[in-house]
Order: sequence, then C-alpha cells, then structure tokens
Amino acid sequence: MELIKNLLPHLVNGLSLGLLFALIAIGFMLIVGVMELINLAHGSLFALGAYAAMAIINPDLAWLGAMGTWYTELPLTVRYIVGLAFAPALIAIVGFGIEICMRRTYGKDPLYGLLLTFGVALVIEELIRIIWGSGEQIMPTPDAIGGAFLFGGMIYSKYRFFSAGFATAVIFAVWLFLQKTPYGAIIKAGAHDSEMVRALGINLTLLRLFVFGFGASLAAIAGIVLTPIWGLRPHVGVDVVVPAFLIIVLGGIGSFWGAVIASLLVGLTVGITGAYASEWSLMSMYLLLIAVVTFRARGLFGKKSVLEA
Amino acid sequence: MGLTGSGTVVSWPMVVVLIILVTLPQWIGPVGFYTYLGVEIVIWMIFALGFNLLLGYTGLPSFGHGAYFGLGAYGFGLFQLNVMQNLWFGLVAAIILAAIGGALVAVFVSHRRGIYFALLTIAFGQIFWFISIKWHTVTGGEDGLLNIPRPVVELGFLEFSLKTNTALYYLVLCVFAVVVVGLWRLVHSPFGKVIQAIKQNEMRARFVGYNVWLYKWLVFTISAGIAGLAGGLFAMAQESAYPDVMSLHASGFVVMMTLVGGGFVSFWGPVIGVVIFFLARDLLGSLTETWLLWYGLIFMAMVLFKPEGAAGILQDWTEAVSKVASKKSARRPPTIS
Repeated sequence: MELIKNLLPHLVNGLSLGLLFALIAIGFMLIVGVMELINLAHGSLFALGAYAAMAIINPDLAWLGAMGTWYTELPLTVRYIVGLAFAPALIAIVGFGIEICMRRTYGKDPLYGLLLTFGVALVIEELIRIIWGSGEQIMPTPDAIGGAFLFGGMIYSKYRFFSAGFATAVIFAVWLFLQKTPYGAIIKAGAHDSEMVRALGINLTLLRLFVFGFGASLAAIAGIVLTPIWGLRPHVGVDVVVPAFLIIVLGGIGSFWGAVIASLLVGLTVGITGAYASEWSLMSMYLLLIAVVTFRARGLFGKKSVLEA
Repeated sequence: MGLTGSGTVVSWPMVVVLIILVTLPQWIGPVGFYTYLGVEIVIWMIFALGFNLLLGYTGLPSFGHGAYFGLGAYGFGLFQLNVMQNLWFGLVAAIILAAIGGALVAVFVSHRRGIYFALLTIAFGQIFWFISIKWHTVTGGEDGLLNIPRPVVELGFLEFSLKTNTALYYLVLCVFAVVVVGLWRLVHSPFGKVIQAIKQNEMRARFVGYNVWLYKWLVFTISAGIAGLAGGLFAMAQESAYPDVMSLHASGFVVMMTLVGGGFVSFWGPVIGVVIFFLARDLLGSLTETWLLWYGLIFMAMVLFKPEGAAGILQDWTEAVSKVASKKSARRPPTIS
C-alpha cells in the first residue's frame, strides 16, 4: 500500500507525459500514413508552435498603441486560450508550406522526403534562434492551472492533470474525426492506398495538404501543452521527435490505438524509472524499444492496413 | 565515373584528388584558410565515404551514423587515457568499438529497409548518444573526455610527433588513402556487386540466392567500423571526445554531405559533399552567425531540384561536353553510367 502511494505521483506524471507523447505521435503517424514520409521537422513544428503561442500570449504590441495595450491587459487565461487556438492554426499554415515544397519528392525514393524535412528542421530551428534567441524561455500558463494540491498526503501538480485531460480530449476528438466523419474515412483510405483513393475521384493533392497541416497543428498543440513541463529552447524539437519515433516503432506504423497505448507505455516507463533512477529515466524507453523490436519486429499493433483503429 | 565503372586499382579521379590533398598544406594558408580545416575535411571524408557504402551503394538510409563516429572517438580517447598511449592500437580500439556497436545494431535493423530502417537507426543512434551523456564516470557526461593526447607515430624505422596540425594532416591523409583504395576495391569486388543488387531489388537478390540479411549486416558493420576510424582520428584532432558528434544533427550532417556531393551517382560524391559543407560553414559562417539557416535552404533546394548532387551536375556537364564534341547522342541509361 505504501509502495503504491509513493508511486502514485510518478504514475500520474508518466500518464500525463504519455498522453502528450500520443498527441505528437498521432500527428506524426497521420503524415507517415498518408504521405509515407518520416517528418523529421515534426519536432521543429512542435517547438515553433510553442514559441508562436508564447508570442501570442505575451506579445510585444507597443507599436499598436491603444489596441495593443487593450490586448496585453486582457486576463492571462483569455490570452492563453487565444494562443492555444491560433498558434496551431498558424503552424498548420507552415505545414501547408512544407507540404507544397514536398510535392516534388512524391513518387521518388522516400529518402528524399526524409532529407527535405531534415533541411526544414534545420531552417526552423535557426529561425527560432534568430527570432527568440538561443536561451531558455518560459511558457506562460494561467494561474488557474498552475500550482499544486495535496491529495492523500502527496503533492500533485495541477498542471499535470490539466495537460493529461486536455491531451485526452484532443486524442478523443481526433479519433472521433477519423472514425465518424467522411473526411476521416478519406484519410484512413488514403493511408491504406493513396493511389486507389485518387482513382475514386478524391483530390489527393488537397488530402495530402490537409493531412500535413493537421499533423503539424497536432504537434503545435502538444508543444504548447508540453513545454511548461519540459522547458522551451530552440532544440527542444529533437528531444521530442525521438520519443515520437520510438512510439511509432513500438506501436507499429499505422495503428491509432497502437500509438496511444505505446505512448502510455513509454510515459509510464519513463515515469516509474524516474522514481528510482531519474538520471536514466529516458533510457528506459530505449530499452523498451529494443525489447519490443527483438520480440515483435513489427511493433505491438503493426498491421498491413494503415491507420486501422 | 559512376557508382560502378572500371575496377582498376587506381583511377584518374583518385590521382587528382590525392594530388590536390597532398599539396593542401602548401596552398591552404595563402588561400585564406588554415591547415586544421584540412584535417577536419579529410576526417569527415573518411566518415562520409564509409557512410556512402551504406547509403549510396546498398540503399540503406542510416540516420544514426554519428553514433559510430562517436563510439570511435570515445574508444580512442578511453584507450589513450586508460590503457596506453599508442596511436595504432588506439585507432584499432576505435574501429573495434564502433564495429561492435554497429554489428549489434545491425542485428536488429538488417531485416528492414526504407523508412523503417531509417526510424530504427535514428532510435539506436539516440541510445548511444544518451548513454554518452549520462554515463558520467566513463564518458565524462556532456563535457566529454578532455585532454586526449596526440600520440607519437611509430613506424619502426621512424617516429614523429603529431603536435603540429600539418603532421596530423599527413597522417590523416595516409589513413584516407588506405580507406579510399580499400573501399574502391570493395565496391568493385563481387561483394560490391551484390550490395548494389540489394539496393536495386532486395527481393530479387534474395531469390538469386544471396543471404541478403548477412550482406546488409556486414555492410553496416564495415561502415560503422570506418565511421569509428574517422571518429578516432577526430578525437585525436580535437584532443577531446564529446556527445555532440553522436547527436541527431551530426548524423544528419553526414547524410547531407553525402547527398549534396552526389553519393548516389558517384564514388567521389561524399568527398565533394564534405568539401562543400565545410566551405559553406567557414564562408557563410564568416558572413552570418546563422549559416545553418542558409545551408539548410541550399540543401532543401538541392534535394528538390538536383537530388543527384554536385557529382550529378558534373556528370551532366561532362556528358553535355562530350555530346557537343562527338555530335552523337550516346543514349546511355541516365542513372548509373
């Protein structure tokens, strides 16, 4: 009983981390599925989303005069919600831009797409350095979700619960969208066999554009919610994109719930090892990966059909 | 000169490259650079040539190759600091450590190709990077190993010190020459033909009766070993070994160099790519602090518009020139000439 009580905060931390990983991984996987492209820029979009939200929440609007002061004097909660809504939309537009560049690589060796996104990642990271500097920044959060509370003698961070709840809501919304709407059906079909989808008269160009933007905005949402926990620095993208790869490999390419379960598994492993050997907590997820790849090379839920729920 | 081509022991481009490189310490100063840049360039050439065995010849996109470079660097450093100060044994230790690391990873990744291969190599590369940062007692954490000596070169009949960068440059160049000849022979051997067959069509190669898994495992291990050799030299040049060289960025850089130079179409592609990368770093870097932004943009343009790289452009030129000269359009297949 005592053991469980001591472990509980770490379990909560692990779960909330896992849910946020799932957000990143799902966006990543949508892009892998429909475009057969590893988006190495995904982590950079994550970082860019967080920076954009930070700029929206605490902008420098002196040049706007009265309009500017009106906005900066709004309550932080309102500005936070504005940031949470508009930053992902902005990153979706960046995603559109990347996808348009990407078009020349379709039908060629998938390596070219991978390399192009590596170039994009470099460019975005440098842009972040130019605009916001190399130093660590602080992502503002409203007081309502900051701080800590006591429960059963243990201290929990409120923000962890907010982030877990928010991530769950977004994951569920994405699942509903994929599962219950005709657009979701098209995306799933596109991931399964994009040529056939085109043959059925669906505009594949538009589908790819949309999916890339959608994946990018999911990365941005994850960035906004995760960076208060992880810190915000220009190269935070690399720290994030690697767990996303691991999760995709673990869960198996093309399985929605595989990605979610793998994310939770990774989050929990990191959380629990964090309780005993915090230095090595991130290492545990690599070991988890080796174990899975050794015993089930396709990943936990990897299937031939892509994005099967 | 394409990926295949005549399998002579020495070829014309090889002689030209060697002449340019041998005379480098004489002209690099007046041109406005420094000898150490030459050391760095030649070390990365070794790394990129070994890497191209995997990428260009076997068609396996390893995106975590910095790990083996780093393993070599740590192997060399740990050997010098903890076992004995000896150049040759140190380099052998670097190769062995990196090759063991590569062989272990290759066991897991050799039945994969394409995207999945890239993903797995990234993941494994990150494992090594992570260990190098966290295992303070052995690797020195984020600072890395410091004060790695440059041991004396002992050749039995003569000995010389590597304290000056020019001496180090010639040592590195000798190693480079050995690696070039070795790799040149390797890719023109039956083994080289098999790995190129695997690149073109893995399933067919298997049906013809080759043990594809074993070949991929071997290529990966060899490539990792060469990366380790380059890493060992790098540790000596830098007189330190640190985790940065194992990061995703460093791994990406070697892919960039190989591709920008034209590793897909030419044996010499990686060599050109390394020169372009370091010149870009120093020239753009002297103009702007954010040279990576511009290099990234150039790289993106290259991937989009000329994925065959610099060697591809050169081949187009020579082809156009010879066409004009002979007035005959020799219709050769566009890929491997």
